[in-house]
Amino acid sequence: MKPRRPDAARWLFLLAWILAGLAASPETSALLAQDAEEVSLSERFPFRVSSRRDSGQMIALVKPLCVEAGKSTVQIYSNNKPVALGLVVDSAGLVVTKRSELSGDPIRVRLPDDRMVNARVAAVRREDDLALLKADATDLVAAKLDTSEPGVGHFLVTVGRNGRPIHIGAVSVGSRPIAATGRLGIQLENNAEGLATVNLVLPDSGASAAGIQLGDRIVAIDGKPSGGSAEVVAFLRNFFPGESIRLTIARDGNTVEINAQMREFSVMLESENDARLNGPRNSRLSGFDAVLQHDTVLEPDQCGGPLVDSQGRIVGLNIARAGRVVSFALPNRIVQPLVEAMIQEAQSVNP
Amino acid sequence: MRFPRLVLLHREVKSPARCRSARSAMIALAVVLQTAISPIPSILEPRATAQEGAAPEGAAQAQGPASAAPPPESLSPESPASSSGTPASANNRRGMTFSSAEEMLAEVLKGQVPQSLEQLAAMERQQQQVATLATACTVSVQIGRSQGCGVIITPDGYVLTAAHVAMRTGLRATLMLSDGRRVRARTLGLNRQVDAGLIKIDGDVDSAGKPWPHATLGTSTGLRQGMWCIAMGHPGGYDTDRGIVARVGRILAVRPGALVTDCALIGGDSGGPLFNLQGELIGIHSRIGNDVADNLHVPIDHYDRTWERLARSEAWGFLPGFRPVIGVRGTENSPRAEIQSVAPGSAAESVGLRPGDVIQRFGNVEISDFSSLQKAVSDTMPGEQVELRVQRGEEILRMMIEIGRDPRS
Repeated sequence: MKPRRPDAARWLFLLAWILAGLAASPETSALLAQDAEEVSLSERFPFRVSSRRDSGQMIALVKPLCVEAGKSTVQIYSNNKPVALGLVVDSAGLVVTKRSELSGDPIRVRLPDDRMVNARVAAVRREDDLALLKADATDLVAAKLDTSEPGVGHFLVTVGRNGRPIHIGAVSVGSRPIAATGRLGIQLENNAEGLATVNLVLPDSGASAAGIQLGDRIVAIDGKPSGGSAEVVAFLRNFFPGESIRLTIARDGNTVEINAQMREFSVMLESENDARLNGPRNSRLSGFDAVLQHDTVLEPDQCGGPLVDSQGRIVGLNIARAGRVVSFALPNRIVQPLVEAMIQEAQSVNP
Repeated sequence: MRFPRLVLLHREVKSPARCRSARSAMIALAVVLQTAISPIPSILEPRATAQEGAAPEGAAQAQGPASAAPPPESLSPESPASSSGTPASANNRRGMTFSSAEEMLAEVLKGQVPQSLEQLAAMERQQQQVATLATACTVSVQIGRSQGCGVIITPDGYVLTAAHVAMRTGLRATLMLSDGRRVRARTLGLNRQVDAGLIKIDGDVDSAGKPWPHATLGTSTGLRQGMWCIAMGHPGGYDTDRGIVARVGRILAVRPGALVTDCALIGGDSGGPLFNLQGELIGIHSRIGNDVADNLHVPIDHYDRTWERLARSEAWGFLPGFRPVIGVRGTENSPRAEIQSVAPGSAAESVGLRPGDVIQRFGNVEISDFSSLQKAVSDTMPGEQVELRVQRGEEILRMMIEIGRDPRS
């Protein structure tokens, strides 16, 4: 398509904008966005898709790379919703997936041959957000993990069930650890009796969603007496974003039990505009021993499954959609030892 | 609810970024939402002549002395160090990011999809090579509280960036190189019409006396939909533990004022470089829309076309749709900037400016008359916070105004 000046001018003319990180002025931007959206739908969409990096032609090209991995890729359902992909790591029905998406029962697995079977969590590794499921099946194809790490700029293909290439991306940053940055979203001080007392609740935090109020005194966490604010803060450090904590709270002479979720601190603080630009993300975006950062555009429920390189080797598991330009994958040098340990654990508990 | 569609890509630096307590979290929030971009004294310092500047090289052109009036694709001499008399081949191309692609990629370079997995593998070798080479010349640019990116393009330290990252001429900037070096620089010219900005590192060589690592200049002439490209930058701001972030995508549209790609960008990437598959610089990141495939880059030829003005620290134009206004009217030839009327719904109205008020100072600029006020406003960006000193009768008032955007622009 040739560049068309009048269209470009018209498009630019209609653009609303804001400064990244600053609040928009709602009246004016609302007005302009309306027109801009019409332009977007009528003119821009079709030709763009045909030349994207994961166009139909590219998907067709990489399909053979996904065949082997596809034999071991499954879809995970939790509470009857598709929540993640998973990878068969033992033919006796053992599947590794992303742990923090398994929030509700029943857990079921759609196998490569289309069977839907029940599954239960056999082992977890919280430190890297992995779970091993035991699915009710015995004749599965176990995946072969490759521990070589693709370099920056190398292609990665996210494999779906049946070996369907979901999206193509490239390595953005070599593997690095990501420290956990979950917060409950409260600030504490000690009251006269030395009890941790809430003196600030952040909006958009798990604390605020759970109804924690100013002046609440934290008596116990997960049933254990919690002491002063330093002890509470130290205890909360043990939790990853996405995990829930049971707080026993003294309020106005009553005792209430509240379940509050740890959430990503950066997400709590971001502006409405950043939130929109980043799109849907997983609840756990941090706290990993190592991740490979890549630019594949994933939905949060497309994590947990395998990534293959340009040779068709499984090089890692997608572990989080973390922002507009960021997807994280656990490289197999992290996944493999954890999977082996979880398989052993599952077999020793349930021989 | 409708949302604004396009966002400029620099980022407010959250100084207490990694807060440990909820209170410091609130401080970070306040910094992002309320604090002004610190105005920095504007000192105009024409620093360079055109000859010291850009050296875009046509694909098949030999090196040689500049013609009197170089067209965009031709070359102008880069520095005394550039060798003359060397054979004109791809390997002798100036700049450190060029990486000649294998023969089998000839069609892929023209924008085709690879036809085999062998070609796919050759492409990714190319991508890895370019991403590695581009790391040394991609810099983080910090001016006041605002953070973006830039790319060094000459051995003596000229840096291309986005106009909205450079903000104004003559500003002090701190650049961070990927090896951790922190260097001082100053903004030169701004072509706000297309969002092109120029920065010069203070020294013509680094502290060890070596030339600055610099990118190989390409051309945006002849770019076509489908061509592959590699975007580099610091999305979300400079992060020591992470470093530079590479993205691989394709050109989705070529317009006179912008390249559109599916190399996903976000705040902090502005001013960063877009390379073709052979490591030649073809664009500078500028702005994004909501869709992850709405990523706009300034075509590189704009820098060459207006190089002399940029190097002379001229600033002109505004990006269509982004014209800064505060919403006051006055008389041009009055000796003071006295406000005659305030537009309803304007930035001026929201801070309580009234007819009769005299604006004495706008940020760090002393205002002598209404046209100097107009000039000062045109040097800002919509959304920027600026402190005003206003005389109202006997009183002197100080107020922070958030620059508005002319909806008709």
